[in-house]
Amino acid sequence: MENIRNFCIIAHIDHGKSTLADRILELTGVMPTISNEQVLDSMDLERERGITIKAKSVRIPYKSRNGKDYILNLIDTPGHVDFNYEVSRSLKACEGAILLVDASQGVEAQTIANAYLAIEAGLEIIPVINKIDLTSAMIEECRLQLEELLDIPGEDVLLISGRKGTGVIDLLEAVVARMPPPGSSNEEPLRCLIFDSYYDAYRGVIPHIRVFSGSLGPGAKIMVKSTGKIFEVEEVGYFSPQLTPGNILKAGDVGYFGASIKDVGTIHVGDTIISPDHPQTPTIEGFRQSQPMVFCGIYPIDSSDYGKLTMALEKFRLNDSSIAYEKESSAALGHGYRLGFLGMLHMEITLERLKREYGQELIATMPSVVYKVVLTNGEAQMIDNPSKFPEPQYIDHIEEPIIMARIIVPEDYVGPCMELSESRRGKFINMEHSSRRRTLLTYHFPLAEIIAGYYDKLKSVSRGYAGMDYDFVGYRADDLVKVDILIKDNKVDALSFIANRSSAVTRGRALVQKLRKLVPRHQFEIPIQAAIGKKIVAREDIAPIRKDVIAKCYGGDITRKRKLLEKQKEGKKRMKMVGSVEVPQEAFLLLLRMEQ
Amino acid sequence: MRGLYVHVPFCVKKCSYCDFYSVPAQNGLVDLYIQALMVECHSYLGLSFDTLYVGGGTPSLLGADNLIRLIDGLHHAFDLSDLVEATVEVNPESATVRLLEAAKASGINRISVGVQSLSQQELEKVGRVHTAVQAIEVVGRAKKLGFRTVSADLMIGLPGQKWEMLRASLEALISLGIDHLSLYCLSLEHGTPLALDPPADLPSDDMQADLFDRASQFLDRHAFVHYEISNFALGGHECLHNLNYWRGGEYLGLGPAAASHLGGRRFRNRSDLHAYFDTPAHFVEDVEELKIKDKAAEEAMLRLRLLSEGLNPNDLVKRFGQENVNGLVGRLNEMARVGDLLFDGLSYRLAPSKVLTSNWIFTRVLFD
Repeated sequence: MENIRNFCIIAHIDHGKSTLADRILELTGVMPTISNEQVLDSMDLERERGITIKAKSVRIPYKSRNGKDYILNLIDTPGHVDFNYEVSRSLKACEGAILLVDASQGVEAQTIANAYLAIEAGLEIIPVINKIDLTSAMIEECRLQLEELLDIPGEDVLLISGRKGTGVIDLLEAVVARMPPPGSSNEEPLRCLIFDSYYDAYRGVIPHIRVFSGSLGPGAKIMVKSTGKIFEVEEVGYFSPQLTPGNILKAGDVGYFGASIKDVGTIHVGDTIISPDHPQTPTIEGFRQSQPMVFCGIYPIDSSDYGKLTMALEKFRLNDSSIAYEKESSAALGHGYRLGFLGMLHMEITLERLKREYGQELIATMPSVVYKVVLTNGEAQMIDNPSKFPEPQYIDHIEEPIIMARIIVPEDYVGPCMELSESRRGKFINMEHSSRRRTLLTYHFPLAEIIAGYYDKLKSVSRGYAGMDYDFVGYRADDLVKVDILIKDNKVDALSFIANRSSAVTRGRALVQKLRKLVPRHQFEIPIQAAIGKKIVAREDIAPIRKDVIAKCYGGDITRKRKLLEKQKEGKKRMKMVGSVEVPQEAFLLLLRMEQ
Repeated sequence: MRGLYVHVPFCVKKCSYCDFYSVPAQNGLVDLYIQALMVECHSYLGLSFDTLYVGGGTPSLLGADNLIRLIDGLHHAFDLSDLVEATVEVNPESATVRLLEAAKASGINRISVGVQSLSQQELEKVGRVHTAVQAIEVVGRAKKLGFRTVSADLMIGLPGQKWEMLRASLEALISLGIDHLSLYCLSLEHGTPLALDPPADLPSDDMQADLFDRASQFLDRHAFVHYEISNFALGGHECLHNLNYWRGGEYLGLGPAAASHLGGRRFRNRSDLHAYFDTPAHFVEDVEELKIKDKAAEEAMLRLRLLSEGLNPNDLVKRFGQENVNGLVGRLNEMARVGDLLFDGLSYRLAPSKVLTSNWIFTRVLFD
């Protein structure tokens, strides 16, 4: 056990985490030739976007300069704020962390957030400045920022280039020398943490585990602490980086097991695995549970695909336990699910993954936060779906979730960032000039403003330089109203939204104008309206169609005409009926996309 | 009633909006075509017909001698002794005095002139090969020769078309003495040059509807009855051949791409002239035999096109039986209730305001 080191790399997005991981694998001979960049980012989506979404691990045999052989378990983690739960889970499985900073970018919002998480988890941190080969590298500046913002002594910092491999072996030596071995025992009863899992069509659920005490091999009986379910282990092994069967997983090891677990609901990421002989073995605590913050409805384009969507979600949740979902139905869109996400990127990625990995075509409704609606009788309800809001006469007041945002921005852009923040109902808390060119702004925001595109705007007013991280702080009352959208007197539940009264009319009007362009003309006039309660605040009319004659029955070709009419009729089947109005599926899709 | 349609698939040049089947009339093709047509006739030898319609394409491109040969051949093959109406479509550039005289001599009593517009500009924009002056001359010539009915085609929605131009065309044709007018809305048919590259001044659907409404009112003031969605006529000059289509009657179509309705089946010839030369007698594709209820619904849809005559449900009951018409009548009553159809206690009619949006109504007539 003395020769095991479990560690992860934490960094702000794009600071070179995956490239460093590739280089480590290459230099240690785990992957002799790395043809494709970023081996650990196995999802297409990760490669395309250049980000890591899922935590992954790999076992690296390493012969140190001191002559001893070591096993290094590297656990790759995502960088984005939305995926903090993945980070916290990975950290739990490690004793040390490499904190990576891009020499040309400096310390960013996520650098700080992730460093705090690692410190909280009691990990040994090795600070590293990466990309020192770039001409734009500002090594001394970065060193200063690490000292000033995170109290990291400048002399502890290693300098590397993940791309060229410079300093990477020195870094591995530091991992061996500075990070502690796992303080676990083989003698104590079995105790493992599931930090990830996925579903294999043949072998069932494959949990990824860190063994804290005891050992695990084929034939062993295990128990899921939270559910009491017992399974017999069929296979154990390591990641190299593909699954490689082994004989035993011992205390301190990182690996996987398979136990023909077919029901995905019986075992979850974050669960503790123990031996049924020692049912009193304590749960591994401190695992940061994820709290869904952003909700949206998802519906299959073709309502007959509902069953497929259900199965896809069940499997998906196994891989990403942070997704919350429950059944929902909409008059406009049919049967679907309401999903809870950790943030906007998480939502975007999840919808994209559902589409790609499960072949699901989906309509997603506008995202919403969870509102606390306090009724006139004093009762408080938590509501994540605007269409479920009580009628205005029963509402005493509405509270919305507030987050604390830490924004790191170069001095030149502080002005525009503050202006933007004020316009998005931000409440200024603090400003800190932490180095000559970096400013740390702290604001309180309604989360609703963040999901309505604040981050994209922040990037654009700062020419991409500003970074942001946030934490939930609590609920605050504001003058919030529900806006309904009506198509010819019928409410379209999927389009209802909650807004601050001052911006409700503007947003309602914009939505009505967009919808007017998307709903086809009918044989009758169609008013499209936005309403707050019973009061209409915006209206656009779609004039009736005046001509639809297709195909003259020339030369008596009646069959052709009949077939054209039949085709037209078939086309209508793909429409969603809102009262007597046929709205193409694509209209909802386009509208919701435009809104996002 | 039974009609005979002959498709003459030749044109000088394809108009930019047209997706009907036609080819350039190259040397020798016309001869081969008439020979093939005569062979095709043999498959239906001895049938009798009440109306004849020679359409296209451009039948006047055949020239006087070939037209006579064609009509003589038809007389040979079929019993045309009770023919009450015989139409030839002509285009202004090829409807010579000789051709019209030959038609008259062969028993043709109705001439339909493809005028489309009397605005030179509009004609050029859609690639018509004749001039407005030629069109006026041909209509005058046909009148002078004493055909029983002279009809003209006009188009609504030509690029740059304004009501003033359309009215001028209508006025000129009426003063020339036409008895019948077909008014078609230009539609962008898939694959046509016009659809591939629509000009910016193409009137919108709303503008087309405006033009159509105004033309319809104008024609009404000049005693033309709007008797079918696209057709207007002075009393007694309705096209019997076309009325037979809308009343669910039988007809035989000869020539490439021609459609037929015989013995309850609808079928169509292939759209390939050269293949037609090889096997003119075995050229049918797309045979359709509808179930009786669908057949009744189809006839209802067709009869609703007849704006003044309308649809008398008793005619359908007689032909298809009460039990096959019940559901249909239910649908018709519902449409009458919401004002899409008019019902006078005897017949259903398309409400005048619904003429240009009739597809939606027809779809509901046809399908549950």
